[in-house]
Amino acid sequence: MDFILTQLSGFGGAFWALVIDPVTYIYLIVSVFLGITFGALPGLTATLAVTILTGFFGNKVPLDYSLIALLGAYVGAIYGGSYPSILLNIPGTAASAATAMDGYPLAKAGRGGEALGLTTTASFIGTLIGTIALLVFVWVLLLLSQNIASPEKALLALFGILLSGTLMSEDLVIKGWIAGLVGLAMAMVGLDPLLSEPRYTFGWSYMLSGFQVVPVLMGAFAVPQIIEGMRHMDVGTLTELKGRILPNLRAVRRYLPTITRSGVIGTGVGALPGVGEDVAGWVSYGVGKSVSREGRKFGKGSLEGLLSSETANNACIGGALIPLLVLGIPGSPPAAALLGAFRINNIIPGPTIDPEIILRVVAIMVLASFTMFVMGLFTAKIFIKILRIPRVVFLPIVMVLTTIGSFSVGGGINDLYLMLGVGFVAYLMNLLKFPIAPLVIGVILGGLFDETFRRSLLISGGDVFVFWSRPVAAVLLALNVALILSQVPLTKRLFARLKGKAF
Amino acid sequence: MSQKTPEPQSDDIAVLRARDFWGAIVLMVLSLFFLWRTSFIPLFGDNRAGVSGTSWYNSAAIVPLGIFTALFILSLVLLSIAIRAGGAKRALSPIGIGWDRAEAVRFITIGVILFFYTAGLVPRVDFIACSGLLITALTFGYHKGRITRMILASGAVGLCGAYALVAHLPQSEWGAHDDDIVTLAVWAALTLWVLLCARGDGVLKAVPVIAVLAPVILVCAMAFGFRQNVPNRGGLIFSQIEYHYYVTLRPLWRS
Repeated sequence: MDFILTQLSGFGGAFWALVIDPVTYIYLIVSVFLGITFGALPGLTATLAVTILTGFFGNKVPLDYSLIALLGAYVGAIYGGSYPSILLNIPGTAASAATAMDGYPLAKAGRGGEALGLTTTASFIGTLIGTIALLVFVWVLLLLSQNIASPEKALLALFGILLSGTLMSEDLVIKGWIAGLVGLAMAMVGLDPLLSEPRYTFGWSYMLSGFQVVPVLMGAFAVPQIIEGMRHMDVGTLTELKGRILPNLRAVRRYLPTITRSGVIGTGVGALPGVGEDVAGWVSYGVGKSVSREGRKFGKGSLEGLLSSETANNACIGGALIPLLVLGIPGSPPAAALLGAFRINNIIPGPTIDPEIILRVVAIMVLASFTMFVMGLFTAKIFIKILRIPRVVFLPIVMVLTTIGSFSVGGGINDLYLMLGVGFVAYLMNLLKFPIAPLVIGVILGGLFDETFRRSLLISGGDVFVFWSRPVAAVLLALNVALILSQVPLTKRLFARLKGKAF
Repeated sequence: MSQKTPEPQSDDIAVLRARDFWGAIVLMVLSLFFLWRTSFIPLFGDNRAGVSGTSWYNSAAIVPLGIFTALFILSLVLLSIAIRAGGAKRALSPIGIGWDRAEAVRFITIGVILFFYTAGLVPRVDFIACSGLLITALTFGYHKGRITRMILASGAVGLCGAYALVAHLPQSEWGAHDDDIVTLAVWAALTLWVLLCARGDGVLKAVPVIAVLAPVILVCAMAFGFRQNVPNRGGLIFSQIEYHYYVTLRPLWRS
């Protein structure tokens, strides 16, 4: 009880400190607006918004303001994706793909205003559910993570990369794993963390410090989007918005179990390393369809379907921050960009993180969700107007932002070369349907994996038994092995046969 | 590995498998190359400058060795999936790998623009000028999807970038201003051309305004608002802005 009261008073203090600072509101309003704009424009993503702002603010702005801007943009962008989903049948972000299933039919039926009002409410509630989960579970996990040593960290990092590769692949799972391995390989460049042995530097002194996170993020997420987005495409025919955008409280009351379930699913999926909001949206939509009494209406303009995906994708944000803050493992691609922001501000998320920062993050999330809710209700018309602007107007500006951001953080031209190189490679990987998120997760977690894996062996004197002699390590190892075996045809067939015998 | 593979598939999947064939080969070559490079890192306690190295398990080579071996094995699996799905048969024909001339032109011209902007212009030319040129070129070139416009846009950026690279390759010459003038001239010419083509096109009419305002606002916000480092502070336009900010404007509110 004392612990809960301490946390609540800590949260209250952090919240109050932000509320009484007028600068907070400037950052909040601008960043949420930018986020919704990025989300609303097909071709610009939440990851891109957070990545670009990471480069833009660098480490010259107080961390609080930097976090307000990044989290505000994150929350705004995930919500903003629902605008084109509902009005154009084109998801603004991958996170809103499931929203289009029911949002567009509703708009076609003349209930666009109601649909937007409901997505605004659902996104707001979803963000709050995720934030509450963050506030509750982060402390539990922090306590547990005190017992996590090098073997567990190594296996956890590997699990994050494998899981991200498994779940983010559009085509073959193996491609996700390859992307993760390419990211891990990129993380090997530079001086190794234990012996300072130069690896793959080819005599280039810039490479001694390894691949910097921000240029890699910019290259991987921004450059392919720019190349891909520079196509002549009609904006599409906007469905006429009928009805006022108001929170539909009756629907919220009626579908409260759906909202709660979707919030829990979204938070849970978010807490899985490197998975993200798009998976959360689809998983929640799928579960909703299978358990709902109105399952047949899904895809034909069901309010429940709309609530399922929109609540989950915003709840995923809070979930994605849990592994990020507790273990330093990002729960989603935008969270990977956030990790980059933490790093350039010399904050290492993980078991040793300052609890004050966690409380501030929670307070910012609450403020950002309220700002998003108010903006969604009162400034929706502006975003609908923005939807009419072609992408080719925005993307060149994004390129300039990306360039200046990459340069500012690293302070060198080499970072721009790195950004461009990674960008072209990422574009080609996109072309071959390799997912990019596992690559980025691999780059971010590669150093951690390398260091902890070797430290484990060093402590055990080269005895690999260290990876299953500890209970948590054994569980994590089993998870890794199970994940790999689940994709091997032979074991899949065996499992199918066993299943067949069972029934 | 499991996958939604290699049964008879749609044309898109067949094209993808043909591309996978080449992708797997490239990955195999790369992983073999890096495995060879890994052999340069001491593994079994080599002597370095008279100091004996570490045991195998603490070697800096152990993790990369695992990564590139795994990458090689997965590349082999991908290659086998591609071959079983008929990717190898299709891989040698342009149609097989889904070659699309218009798409190739689009990618190559964007590639040229981004390369010359990042590698040639940003380090050497005033950031406002080269970003203005980039915004003008990209918006004009790709707004209607016309190939001639794409080529013209990439030619404009390529010309300026190539001049900057050739005339001032070493870092000691990056402060020169002749490449700034060339870039400004090409930007002005391209802007005039854009305005000539802009009849009845609101987007093209807005290009000159966006191309000037966006980089000016961004670079000023970064340099003076957030106190961040910006590229090429000695550029023709930005050096003047910076001078007047510190000498003319700042004293107004400082005093």
